[in-house]
Amino acid sequence: MSDLLQYLVSGVALGGVYALVALGFVVIYRASRVFNFAHGELLAFGALAMIWLTAPPVDPADMLSIGAPEVSGLGLPWLVALPLTLAGTGLLAAVIERLALRPLVGRPVFVPIIITLFIGAILRTAMILIFGAGAMPLAAPWDPMGAFDLAGASLGYTSAAIIIASALALAAFFLLLRFTRLGVAMRATSSDQETALALGIPVGKIFAATWIIAGAFAALAGICVGVRDPQIDPTVGFIALRAFPAVIVGGLESPTGAVLAGVLLGVAEVLCAGYLNDALGAMGRNFHIVMPYLVMIAVLIVRPYGLLGQRTVERL
Amino acid sequence: MPTRKLVTRYEDDLTLWPDRYHKLGLVVGVIAVALFPFIAGSHALAVSHTALIAIVGAIGMMILTGFCGQVSLGHAAFLALGAYTVAILGGTFGWPFWLALPVAGIVAAVAGLLVGPFALRLEGLYLAIVTVGLLFLVDHLLRNGLDIAYGRDYLTVPMHSWFAEPDPTALGSFRDSGWLSAEQKLYALFVAVAAFAAWVSKNIQRSRTGRAMMAVRDRDLAAEVLGVDAARTKFLAFGLSSFFAGIAGGLYAFAHPVVTLEPFGLAMSVGYIAMVVLGGAGTTFGAVWGALAFTALLPLAEVVGGGLPFPDAFSSENRAVLLFYPALCLFLVFEPLGLLGIWLRVKRYFMAWPFRY
Repeated sequence: MSDLLQYLVSGVALGGVYALVALGFVVIYRASRVFNFAHGELLAFGALAMIWLTAPPVDPADMLSIGAPEVSGLGLPWLVALPLTLAGTGLLAAVIERLALRPLVGRPVFVPIIITLFIGAILRTAMILIFGAGAMPLAAPWDPMGAFDLAGASLGYTSAAIIIASALALAAFFLLLRFTRLGVAMRATSSDQETALALGIPVGKIFAATWIIAGAFAALAGICVGVRDPQIDPTVGFIALRAFPAVIVGGLESPTGAVLAGVLLGVAEVLCAGYLNDALGAMGRNFHIVMPYLVMIAVLIVRPYGLLGQRTVERL
Repeated sequence: MPTRKLVTRYEDDLTLWPDRYHKLGLVVGVIAVALFPFIAGSHALAVSHTALIAIVGAIGMMILTGFCGQVSLGHAAFLALGAYTVAILGGTFGWPFWLALPVAGIVAAVAGLLVGPFALRLEGLYLAIVTVGLLFLVDHLLRNGLDIAYGRDYLTVPMHSWFAEPDPTALGSFRDSGWLSAEQKLYALFVAVAAFAAWVSKNIQRSRTGRAMMAVRDRDLAAEVLGVDAARTKFLAFGLSSFFAGIAGGLYAFAHPVVTLEPFGLAMSVGYIAMVVLGGAGTTFGAVWGALAFTALLPLAEVVGGGLPFPDAFSSENRAVLLFYPALCLFLVFEPLGLLGIWLRVKRYFMAWPFRY
């Protein structure tokens, strides 16, 4: 029983990360009808920028000595570094949109796919060039070993922080979407770009705003992954591939669906790793990694537009 | 301004080599391809192997994405199936290469037909992401299946006994001639397979099947109204595409002494879509030239990047990404037709000469 509770707790923490990543995809897709395959690299950029901003500065002469920290940074406090990272990653996302994706409006669906995949590869390589290919730790301001006791299950401070941070970010996003002028404009743009433009909504600026928000989500997810894992390297962005099922199961247009599916799939993945993998014998090794994809395929057979996605009606 | 002769009869539309320029190009091309293995060094020959494999794979991708408009990011999974089929049939069961190769294609085609039903339900981005899932799934199955069967997930390919060792007792081997090196024999085989693939693709493109695929690509609903069986067409496109992907995977296994799962990742699928878009979507020309151009990037990066101050840990792929991908992005943004667009512009210039168009 306490096993199950423990799995549920770690599942929700994992699901929180998936939900943040999936929401980033959905926000961008709703606004500009682009599936941003470079999202994982934005995530990695956020995590690495955070490491660089928070790591204490090290004298270059000491860097070569044995036992020296892997990275020398600016040593900023977390409360300063966090908004800087979110803003910086958001800005990077907006620049990508403006330079590479805006000119592609109206091109076949695979051209934006290729462009974002290429940009992802460029970003990843550039990060290896700048930060090095080695793994680096992101030190959390709390005790990484500490844990709350929850009726027999232990909830690590890190897991708690991830759950709280994702919940806060998601709540903020839904409030923004529901109650602010920008949110209304974003919803209008996503339902029909041309009509929104005709009504005087600056669609280009809305694109920029959504990409900034999505970039900030990516950075937050990256920081969560960074504090969760002992060390990360520039290829950490591949974790975004594992959030794809959450996006699709939830439905590409639905933020609620993305969050719901993200958390559910996170829990399912941990439960699968805990119970199902061993039961499958030799084929079960790492089965929890492909399990979300199987769930995704099963859902798509029944509902081709995801659980909460929009069914498109075509007219000739 | 049109870039081809005015077509007045259906037979004219079907001819493969419509005028003397095409025939001249064919002769020059055949001579160049035939002379290449005797002029090129062993490094250039190895690059040409990769390029010819890429042509076969890109033709498979072109049939699916370029002709039929279905975006698949799972192309590498079918290549992996082909490569491992060849490795298992050749290494464990001792089949000759000419029998293992078509079987590799058929195995991949069957897998492709299994994906077909999903393609009928899904479109655009949904299909692209489901096929990413296919990559993970095939990787998982191969990794664990091989672990059960062999205790490891890499397999050796008996390339040596097929092409290199002069062993006249084994039947069906492609060796035995002392005046060709193993690399040159491989080159000859790869050229033959690539030419066959291009011929099949061209025939699809100019016939009823290809027109049906393009109708489905442009608007599947409208195609159905016109009497095209969209479901059957998509099935066919998936089957043919994965057949050629399997063949390309088999050729990959011929060219490498050991087959591992690592190269068959998302990056390879992306590379194939990139070739299709780079060359010019919807034409056989685009598949061939896109594959050649994309394959040339890696060796080019080694040459160009050699003098640049990159860290030692940088692989030549990293160099190629930093040096050429930004340019590729710009190319995709500003030249929607890819290399085909450039070729058409050159052609137009000479057709209108001495006037400007």
